[in-house]
Amino acid sequence: MRAPARSPLSVTALLAGALAACSAAIPPAELVQARATYQRVSQGPAAQLKPDEVHEAKEALDGAEALFTKKGDTPDVKDTAYAAGLKAEQAEADAATVVALKEKEDAQKMAQTQTLSTMRSAQRELLHTKQELASERLKREEAERKAAQAMADLQRIAAVKQESRGMVITLSGAVLFPSGEAGLLPGAMVKLNEVADALTKSNPESRIVVEGHTDSQGKIDFNQDLSNRRAQAVRDYLVSRGMAADRITSQGLGSLRPIAPNNNAEGRANNRRVEIIVQPAGAP
Amino acid sequence: MVANNATPLALLVALLAGCGGFPPPNDRLAATVAAARSARELGAPNSPQAALHLKLADEELASAKGLMTDGKNERASYVLLRAKADAELALALAKQNSAKAETQQVQEQIKTLQGGNP
Repeated sequence: MRAPARSPLSVTALLAGALAACSAAIPPAELVQARATYQRVSQGPAAQLKPDEVHEAKEALDGAEALFTKKGDTPDVKDTAYAAGLKAEQAEADAATVVALKEKEDAQKMAQTQTLSTMRSAQRELLHTKQELASERLKREEAERKAAQAMADLQRIAAVKQESRGMVITLSGAVLFPSGEAGLLPGAMVKLNEVADALTKSNPESRIVVEGHTDSQGKIDFNQDLSNRRAQAVRDYLVSRGMAADRITSQGLGSLRPIAPNNNAEGRANNRRVEIIVQPAGAP
Repeated sequence: MVANNATPLALLVALLAGCGGFPPPNDRLAATVAAARSARELGAPNSPQAALHLKLADEELASAKGLMTDGKNERASYVLLRAKADAELALALAKQNSAKAETQQVQEQIKTLQGGNP
């Protein structure tokens, strides 16, 4: 019986209380904004990175809430709430600064690594180039030494002269061939071996011409033919000793180019000869 | 109620108010001016967001000074609360801006390094 009677009373009281609370509790936009900002910031990276600032923002917001409860919607409350919201934003901005500085640090480390590796690879390249140069120099020195040695060897077995047409190696006909024939003597082969050796070492790229010469005795045609065959024989022998066939040619000149008078035996012996002409490197 | 919740400062304020006048909020004014100056020096005017808050801080500062001249010290103290928050946020945003710019600079440097040695 008593319970239903009390019920309307309490409903009225509740309604009255709610209305009273309502009229007092329309928060200013600044407070609503501050609550939302704090909510966002407290759930963002600032919670981990700037917990003290987030805490300060919370205290400021609590202060604004308390002032609002006490004073309602007044300019003072608006200012306090606004400041609280900005404190939360400040925590957010400072957290973003921390993140950016961390990224900068990482980037600097990476730049350092990058610079170091660039430097190292440059050093490696430099070392490699130096080694190549040193090895090239050694090879060249070795080749020069061999060439000089070969020339010295050559000068012991044959007359060597520098002329405008190239280096001329003159071999006596008597040493190479039996009289009137174009077959090489056994002793000739020993000499030609050394010549081939020396030329291979000292002038591997040069073009070579083998010329046959006779004295003026006998028929011109015979001498021409003999000088041809003798030059050819020497050329063939040199090729058989490993000289490149495409850079060595031969020709017979008969008695056309004497180097001594043909009116005495010594002069004629000098004229009977084979000349090996080594053209300067690069000559056509 | 007041004794339970109020900070010592509020108590002091209440006491002083009781004595007949709210004291001029000089400390808060000085702190605001200092924060605004730092924000300016750290390049706040170069970042739109920071520049906006710095401008607000300047305006609120001027307004607070006017209130203090009129003897409205208590009201001025709240306006300064706002001004100080704006100035400090401008400072924080300026710092954030320059940190990001520095980071970007280093990252571009790396790109250049990588570009030079693919």
